[in-house]
Amino acid sequence: MKFSRQSNSGLILPTVGRRAFLGTAAAGAAAVAADMTGLDILKHKVLAEELKKQEKHVILLWLAGGASQFETWDPKPGRPTGGPFRAIDTNVSGIRISELMPKLAQRMQHTGIVRSLNTRNADHGGGTTLMETGRPPEGGLDYPDLGAILAHELGRADSQVPDYVSLYTSTEGRHKGGAGFLGSRYAPMFLDKDVMPENIKRLDVVSELDHRERDDLRNLLSQRFARTRHSNTVGSHNSAYQRVRGLMASEKLFDVSQEPQNVRDKYGPTQFAEQCLVARRLVEAGTPFVKVARAWWDSHGQNFETHLELVAELDHVMSTLIDDLKERGLLEKTLIITLGEFGRTPQINPSLGRDHFASAWSASLTGCGIKGGTVFGKTDDDGHKVAEGEVGAPEFYATILEAIGIDHEKHFTYLGSRPIPLTEPGTKPIMPLLS
Amino acid sequence: MHVRIPYYGHRVAFLLITGMIVSGGLSAASLAGELLPPEKTIEEVVDHYIQARLVAEKVTPAPQASDPNLIRRLTLDLAGRIPTVAEAQAFAAATEPDKRAKAVDRLLASPDFAYQQRNELDTLLMKSNDGAWRDYLLKACQENRPWDQLFREMLLTRDDDSDKKAALMFLKSRAKDLDELTNDTSKIFFGVSINCAKCHDHPLVLDWHQDHYFGFFSFFQRTYMNKRNQLAERTEGLVKFKTTEGVEKSAKLMFLTGSVIDEPPPPTLTDDEKKAIEKSRKEDEDKKEGPPPPVPTFSPRTRLVELALKVEDNRFFSRSIVNRVWARLMGRGLVMPLDQMHSENPASHPELLDWLTRDLVAHGYDLKRLMRGIVLSQAYSRSSRWDAQESQPHNQLFAVGLTRTLSPRQYSLALLFASRNSKNFPEDFLSPDWANRRKDLENQSQHLANQLEVPSDNFQVGVSEALFFNNNQHVQNDLLNEGGDRLAGVLKTIPDRNEQLKLAFWTVYTRDPEPEEAVAISQFLDARADRLNVAWQQVIWSMLTSSEMRFNH
Repeated sequence: MKFSRQSNSGLILPTVGRRAFLGTAAAGAAAVAADMTGLDILKHKVLAEELKKQEKHVILLWLAGGASQFETWDPKPGRPTGGPFRAIDTNVSGIRISELMPKLAQRMQHTGIVRSLNTRNADHGGGTTLMETGRPPEGGLDYPDLGAILAHELGRADSQVPDYVSLYTSTEGRHKGGAGFLGSRYAPMFLDKDVMPENIKRLDVVSELDHRERDDLRNLLSQRFARTRHSNTVGSHNSAYQRVRGLMASEKLFDVSQEPQNVRDKYGPTQFAEQCLVARRLVEAGTPFVKVARAWWDSHGQNFETHLELVAELDHVMSTLIDDLKERGLLEKTLIITLGEFGRTPQINPSLGRDHFASAWSASLTGCGIKGGTVFGKTDDDGHKVAEGEVGAPEFYATILEAIGIDHEKHFTYLGSRPIPLTEPGTKPIMPLLS
Repeated sequence: MHVRIPYYGHRVAFLLITGMIVSGGLSAASLAGELLPPEKTIEEVVDHYIQARLVAEKVTPAPQASDPNLIRRLTLDLAGRIPTVAEAQAFAAATEPDKRAKAVDRLLASPDFAYQQRNELDTLLMKSNDGAWRDYLLKACQENRPWDQLFREMLLTRDDDSDKKAALMFLKSRAKDLDELTNDTSKIFFGVSINCAKCHDHPLVLDWHQDHYFGFFSFFQRTYMNKRNQLAERTEGLVKFKTTEGVEKSAKLMFLTGSVIDEPPPPTLTDDEKKAIEKSRKEDEDKKEGPPPPVPTFSPRTRLVELALKVEDNRFFSRSIVNRVWARLMGRGLVMPLDQMHSENPASHPELLDWLTRDLVAHGYDLKRLMRGIVLSQAYSRSSRWDAQESQPHNQLFAVGLTRTLSPRQYSLALLFASRNSKNFPEDFLSPDWANRRKDLENQSQHLANQLEVPSDNFQVGVSEALFFNNNQHVQNDLLNEGGDRLAGVLKTIPDRNEQLKLAFWTVYTRDPEPEEAVAISQFLDARADRLNVAWQQVIWSMLTSSEMRFNH
């Protein structure tokens, strides 16, 4: 009995990993499709799907600490749980949201709201893990987070831009997330100190020429070693180095001073605004996934003052982002998500705060693949329980995946011989939200 | 305490399957008593079984690795560093027939071994930078404490045992999440992820699976930490769970083998007496100072350790560590993945696993002895190159030496050695002086090690590592430093190009340069004739960052 060579090339799908396929076939196919219109590549179903996905992007606005649904997407004015703020009409008739979001209210045609999340975990750690990975943790399996999943699904092996960037500058609630069993190839470029990534600039003592040519020498030595050693891990080492110069060239993507002043003015002067502008620059250059985390929404005290400040900023920055993406023709290819680890209690505590609450809360999806001007699900009059359309993290994730053209039921990787599906069998996306 | 299955409820199916319990994972040969006799050496037995399968598959294995290649591999595996130029050249030049065994014994006796063994065991158990834990583990490795003893210490030490209390970190770091504690214990010590195969299609025994999961969970369910950060165990408490049919059940204390411990009936107490006991327990739990609470008369955790190590039930414990040690030295387990050691996932060489397991238990769980045997085998010392016409045989045949990603600590320490003047290291690595220096180097390499990812199965190197080595100040200032104690510094003092190349290659790669490499490097240097020192720094950079340095091969 002969065993097949452990190949990292080739086009025979059943025997090679999807990554290998993406690395060679799809990248090649993209080039072919661009150059040779005579070849009807789009009739090839698998390749066509790959091409379709490669244009998609996701920007996750992570509301760390847990934003209140009452002060955002699911206001209950006049109810004992409603708090002091009013609800306002939006430009979609029948949909009312908090008065703290007047700008988003005028852009509801792009947004779908989910008001019926019941995720049952109101602990920061547990809630974060659940909402970042879309499934309950399973001992022994370290699941990747949404960014890593999408870097794996949408990123190109030879990508010259980072495929998962995570911006987070507050210390509170900082959570790196990560690639889990997918491995560090899909780990985020994690920017927690500055909007400029670490180690992306050449040291002055190394000249540009030396920096380039020493890498050629490294490549020659590595290739010679790898020639007789047939291992994907060995291959990944050289691939990682080969991506370096491309990423270094993407340095300017992180530099907001490259943007015209009027664009910077539109976003505003806050750090969150600047990070969202970086997110747009990255998406425009081809980065599939950017997470911008804004903290700290954990308003156990002074919930209303906290939200007055944070929601106003979210309203302004997200509206600017929507307009900016739309003007550039990117909104139809980019999905903006607002999500946190959970929502906040209907009860207002003696410190005028709202506590952790995961039984009936909201999130939003805007742009790519979403039927805008839609509300899915309903909470009861005081927001204590989901009254209609209860969904959890898995359904929400299935919806995200379908919105950007990924079959949520497929197996995206194997651990040993065990297939790992993107979502657990039987999980249904929220169809009314999908365009 | 009431434990419910997580909310994906009906889809849960645990991994434990009938076959595992019935056959206990032992192969037919070992059940029939047909294993090679116990008095054979480990290396003989390894080669016998590996060779038998190669013959059966009609596969010709790769030739043996060269001496310099072999000593590099051995030094990385047993000492966690690369050999010095003198060490490697002495080994290559030696002619005595038992030079390999001597080299292995020297490495195992050197202070380096305990550091390397500690680092590897830490990666398995904790991945922790905690000083007390690392010191505990180092001492245990210096004394070569048997694996069953380490297991006992980690699960049963008391907080008033100042020598060994750091062993409790294993439990304490997981005590807040008993599910994690249950899963990690079963994965790390017994080689099974017991809540893994959710998709396993075995509806008839679904209920029974839950009995095992919750049975195993029950051993930890009374464990908690008090306010003094001490580990304690309640005197009572049952795990209840809902079966997939919605029936509520009480779990028994059931080990993975199906063996059950019956708890002696608790003394009959009135409600008031029970309340009083709980009240005094709670008071003790909340005290800020004081001795650790007494071990209860019936301690499920103690029973778990006894049961797991009992002759009739120890196969999970013993097979798992054999498989892990094998995987570390050979590049993959006899069973893969390492946490799926159940009967539907047979070993590539079942008799070999059985023989090694029997041998380990018979020799008191001596891991050093097991490692020594494996690295003396011909299977271990095969070349990692495969340039034959035919496709490379499947990894599970061990026909070729498998390239293995260095751990963060191995890589950091190897880089430290490769970037230094090799002559500054001692000739004798057995001396107490060296023990102190090794400790310093261990600390020095920590910064770099923290930048690197711990490799997992199907590991892929991330771009952040490549960015770090390309542009980080530390790499420039430390690894490429031109001081006299550094490789870059020594090369400056050598006039002859070929001598320079030779020294650089032996220091970094433990071998001579190939003509193709020498030409490329010479061209690089010639183009920089006006600034040769800087040019050499860049050459060293390219050598340190190439794949040959990143992997044990």
